Amino acid sequence: MRALIPTWDWHTIFVAPWTTDFAIYGWIFLMGFLVCAACGLAGNYLILRRMALVGDAISHSVLPGLAIAFLAANAWRTGMAAEVNGMVDTGGQEPGMIHGFAMFTGAMVAGVVTTLMIEIIHKHTRIKQDAAIGITFSTLFALGVVLISVYADKVDLDADCVLHGEIAFVSIQPFFSLSGVEIAPASVVLMGLVAILTLGLIVVFYKELLVSSFDPGLASSMGIHAGFVHYALMCWLSVIVVSAFEAVGAILVIAMLILPGATASMLSTRFPVVLSLSLLHAAVSSILGLHLAIWLNSSTAGSMVVAGAGLFGLVWLFSPSQGLLRRWVWLRKNKRSALQAESLHPPYGC
Amino acid sequence: MTSDPNIEAVRSSSGPLSMRWTQGLSDAEIPLEIHDLTVAYHHKPVLYGVDLAIPPGKLIGVIGPNGAGKSTLIKSIMGLLPTDSGWVRLFGKPNKKNLGRVGYVPQRESVDWDFPVNVMDVVMMGRYGKLGLFRRPGKKDRSIAAACLEKVHMMPFADRQIANLSGGQQQRVFLARALAQESDLYLMDEPFAGVDAATESSIIDLLHTLRKEGKTILVVHHDLPTARNYFDMLILLNMRVVDFGPTKEVFTYEKLQKTYGGRLTILSEVADAVRQTKA
Amino acid sequence: MQVQAGRIGEITEITAWDQALRFFSFKDPALRYALAGAILLGLNCGLLGSFLVVRKLSLVGDTISHAVLPGVAAGFLWNMEKDPLAIFVGATMAGLLGSFMVSRLTATTKLKEDTALGMVLAGFFGLGICLVTMIQRLPTGNKSGIDKFLFGQAASLGGSDIYLMASVAFLTFGLVWIFYKELLTVSFDAGFAHCVKIPVSWFHHGFMLLLAFSVVIALQAVGVVLVSAMLITPAATAYLMTDRLHRMVFFACLAGMLAGAMGAFFSFLGHQLPTGPFMVLSAAALFVFAFFLAPRHGIILRWWARRSRSGRVRRENTLKAVFHALEQDGFRREGVTFMTLSKLRRQTLEETETASQELRQAGFATLPPGEKAVYLTPEGMRRAQTIVRNHRLWELYLTDAANYPPDHVHDDAEEIEHVLGEDLVRQLERQLNFADHDPHGKPIPTPEQMVSLHGQDKSASTGSLGYAKPS
Repeated sequence: MRALIPTWDWHTIFVAPWTTDFAIYGWIFLMGFLVCAACGLAGNYLILRRMALVGDAISHSVLPGLAIAFLAANAWRTGMAAEVNGMVDTGGQEPGMIHGFAMFTGAMVAGVVTTLMIEIIHKHTRIKQDAAIGITFSTLFALGVVLISVYADKVDLDADCVLHGEIAFVSIQPFFSLSGVEIAPASVVLMGLVAILTLGLIVVFYKELLVSSFDPGLASSMGIHAGFVHYALMCWLSVIVVSAFEAVGAILVIAMLILPGATASMLSTRFPVVLSLSLLHAAVSSILGLHLAIWLNSSTAGSMVVAGAGLFGLVWLFSPSQGLLRRWVWLRKNKRSALQAESLHPPYGC
Repeated sequence: MTSDPNIEAVRSSSGPLSMRWTQGLSDAEIPLEIHDLTVAYHHKPVLYGVDLAIPPGKLIGVIGPNGAGKSTLIKSIMGLLPTDSGWVRLFGKPNKKNLGRVGYVPQRESVDWDFPVNVMDVVMMGRYGKLGLFRRPGKKDRSIAAACLEKVHMMPFADRQIANLSGGQQQRVFLARALAQESDLYLMDEPFAGVDAATESSIIDLLHTLRKEGKTILVVHHDLPTARNYFDMLILLNMRVVDFGPTKEVFTYEKLQKTYGGRLTILSEVADAVRQTKA
Repeated sequence: MQVQAGRIGEITEITAWDQALRFFSFKDPALRYALAGAILLGLNCGLLGSFLVVRKLSLVGDTISHAVLPGVAAGFLWNMEKDPLAIFVGATMAGLLGSFMVSRLTATTKLKEDTALGMVLAGFFGLGICLVTMIQRLPTGNKSGIDKFLFGQAASLGGSDIYLMASVAFLTFGLVWIFYKELLTVSFDAGFAHCVKIPVSWFHHGFMLLLAFSVVIALQAVGVVLVSAMLITPAATAYLMTDRLHRMVFFACLAGMLAGAMGAFFSFLGHQLPTGPFMVLSAAALFVFAFFLAPRHGIILRWWARRSRSGRVRRENTLKAVFHALEQDGFRREGVTFMTLSKLRRQTLEETETASQELRQAGFATLPPGEKAVYLTPEGMRRAQTIVRNHRLWELYLTDAANYPPDHVHDDAEEIEHVLGEDLVRQLERQLNFADHDPHGKPIPTPEQMVSLHGQDKSASTGSLGYAKPS
C-alpha cells in the first residue's frame, strides 16, 4: 500500500506545477480543461435529450472510423508516393494534414453510421433502444479493436490509448506554429478550436438546439428540422470525441460528456446557468484531477474523471434542491419511514 | 385477527366519513380499510391523509381529475409505493400479509407488450400467487387459466403473442389474469382506457357477475358520464378523499366541482353528466 | 491469443487451413481451455442477457461491466498477485456497488436513468483506470497482466479459471431453472409480481449479483469493455427468433455459445488476433443473420409477408365484392361486369380492371375478351365463399359471444376475415352452434355449399344461399 500511494509533498503536488514545471503542466491543464469544456457543453444536450448513452455509443464507435481512416490515409499516401516516384515530401505538415482530415472524416462517418444503425435496429425490429445501442457500439468497438490488432503496423493507435488516452503527451508534442510564431502544442490548438467552435455553435443555434431537444414536434412546427439537428449534433459530437480521443481515450470521454452537465443540473434548472456551471465543473475537475494525478502518479485523464465524479458526489450531498443532506433533513422532519419503504420501490423505476 | 387498541383509538377519532359504510362489520369482513395514508413524490404529497373503509360486495369507482392520485391510491393499497404515513388493511390484516386475497389489474401501459410471452403465459401468472416459490403450474392451474380466458372470450387467442392483440383484447387478458388469482378484492387501474365501447360493456358485465359472487371491486375510472351508471359507490378523490358513498348521493354537481376544482372543460362535462342524471 | 501466437510464430509459414485443422484436433491444451471458457461464457451471458434485454436493462449490463474495473484493481492489490478469487470478490463487490449507485441516483435525484448509468459507468471506470495505471507503475505491477482485463485474453485462461466459470454457469443455470416463473413475472410486470407475493426486490438484487458474477468471469475472456456485447447481442438475436421467453433464453444460450466457439476459432486462425472482439463480431454476425432472416421478426420475411398479405387482402376483397354482386342478383348470373364491381367497391373502372387482372393471375377468375366482366373459376368461387363465411362468422361471434352491437362489428370483421385460420373457424362454428345467418340477416355460406358455379354439386341450389344454376 505504501508503495502504491506516494508520499504527500505539498510543494511537488501543488506549487511546482504552477511555477517551475508550468511549461509542462500548464499545457496539460489547458488540454484537460478544453476537453472537459467542449465535452461538457455538448453533453448538456445529450442529457437533455436523454441520449447520454448514445454519447457512450459514439465514443466507442469512432474507433473503427479512426482505424479505417488511418488505413485509407496511409494507402493514399503510399499511392501518391508511388505515383510521383518517391518525390513526395515525407516531412513537414503534409502527412499530418492528411491524417487530421482523414481522422475527422472517419469519426463523423462513424458517428452517423452509429446513429443510423441504432435507428435501423430500433425501428425495424421490436428491439428497444437500449439494446440497439448496446449491440451497435460493442460491435463497432470490437471491429475497431480487430482492425487495430490486425493492422498494428499501419495504424498508429495502441490499446491503452484507446481506453484511457494520455493527456501528458501534449507537453512533448511539437508546437503548432503560425508564420514562425510557436503558439501551442498542435493538439491543444486543435482542441481549443473545437471547444471555441462548440461554444460558438451553441451561442448561434441556442434556440434551435433547445427547442428541438425539448420538443421536436414544436421544433418542426417552427420550421426547424429536428432530424437534421439530431444528426448534426451527432456529427459534431463525433468531432469532439475524436479530438479528445488522444487525450482521454474512448471510454473516459463519456465521463467528460456527462459529469459536468449532470453536476450542473443538480444545482440549477435554468439552462444558461447549467451551461456555465458545467464550464466551471470542467475547470475545477481538470485542476483537481491534475494535482491528483501528480500526487498518485496515475493516469491524468482517469484522475480528472475521479475529480469530476468527486465534485458530483459533493453536489449530490449538498445540493440545495435535490441534495441527500436536504432530503435527509426533510425525512427527519417528517419523521416518516419513507427510506425504509423505499426499498420496495422497484429499482430503476421499472 | 382481534382488533388492535391503537386502531380502535384511531377509528373512534376519525370522522364519520371513513367508517360510515362498514358499521357493524367485523375486521375480517372489511375488504379494505385505509387510515391517514400519505404518499409523496419528490417531497410533494400526492395523497394526503386518506381515510377509507370499504364495504364488501360492491362495485366501487374511484374518480378524480388527472394527477389526483388515483393510480397512486391503488399502488399504495398494494404496498407498491413508499408511504409517508398511515396504514392499509386488507380483510383485517396489514396489506403485505394479505395480498393473496387481492387481484390486480395494472394500467395497460405499465408493461411492455413486446415481451416474449403469449396470452396463456400471462394468465398463468395469476396462478403463481397460489403456487408459491419452487412449485410449477400443474393441470389444475392450466384448466383454471383456460376457464378465466373463456370468461373474457379470449380462448381463441391463447397462443397469440401479446403484442398481436388489440387494446381491448390486451385489457381482457389482464382481466383474465386477475380472475385467475381467485381473489376476493379486485383492484383495477383504468381498465377501460383505450378500450372500445363493446369491450367496455362486456367488461362491465363481467364485473357485475363478480360482484354477484360477493367480490369487492375497486375501479379507477376517468370518464365521468359513464361512472354514474357503472358503479354502486364512488370515491371522489383529489389528493384527499372528497367524498365516498353510494353513487346517487355522491354524484352531485357540488361534490364533483369540489373534486375537480376550477377545471372548466371538465366542469362542463360534469354539468352535462349531472343534467343527464336529472333528466 | 497472444500466448498462442508466440508459440505459433515458431512454426513457420503455417496456413489458415492447417491452423483450422489444428483447431478441430483440440490437441492444444490452451486452446481447449480457451474454447471451454468461451462456450461457458456464452452460455452464462445468454441466460442472464435474455432477462436484461426483455427488461430494457441492457445498458445496466454495460454499466456493471465497466464498474467492476476498480474492483479488479482492488482485488489485485489485496495480495499483489493475480489471485482469481480475490479479483472475483473485489470485482463482484464493485459491480454491485455500481448497480446500487445507479438505483440510488435515480431514486434520490432528478437525473434520468441513462445519465445515471453513464455517470456510474464512466466514474467507476475512471477510478479503475487510475488504480490500474498506479499498479502498473509499481515495480511488480508491470508483470501483473492486469491490463489484460481490459480486452481479455482467452488464451491465458487456466484450469482454475475454467472451474470458476463452470461453477458460476452452473449456479446461474440452476437458479434460472428453479426460479423461472418468478423471473418471468418480475420481468414482465413487477407490480403484479408483488401482488402475487413474489419478493421483487430480492429477485432484483439476486439477479444483479448473478449478473456481477457473470461479468466478472467473462472479464478474462472478453475484457471489461466487450462483456456487455456478450450479454446483449446473443439475447437480442434470440429476441428476434421467438415469441416465448423460455425459448428465447434457450436460443440466447445457443447463440452465445456459438459466438464463443466461433470467436475462439477465428482468433486461432491468424496470429495476434484477440479472441474477445472476435466473439463479439461473431455474435454480431448471428444477430445480422437473425435481423434479416428470423422467422417472424426478420425484416426480409416481414417485408415479404407484408407484401404477400397486402396482395392477398386486396385479392380477397375483390373476390368478396364479386361474391356480393352475385349474391345481390340471387346468383342468377355467372359473371359480374366491371361497371357493377366498380360501383360496389367505389373504385374507378381502371382500378377495377387491375384488380380483376390480379384475380385472373391468381387463377381465381377468367376475363373473357371483349366482355368487360369477371367470371369466377371454381377455385375463385370457393375462396370467395370462404372469405365471406369468415367475415359473417366473425361478425356473429362478436355480437353473440362478445356482446358487440351489430352496427359495430363490420370493421373489425373486415380485418379479421383475412387472418382466421381453419382451426379458429371451426372453433367459431362450434361456439355459434353452426348458425346460418349473420347479425345483418345474411346467410353464411357453409362448407357443404362450397361448390363451383359450374354445377358439379346440385345441393347448391337447395342451400340457404339459394343460388340457381347459371342460365
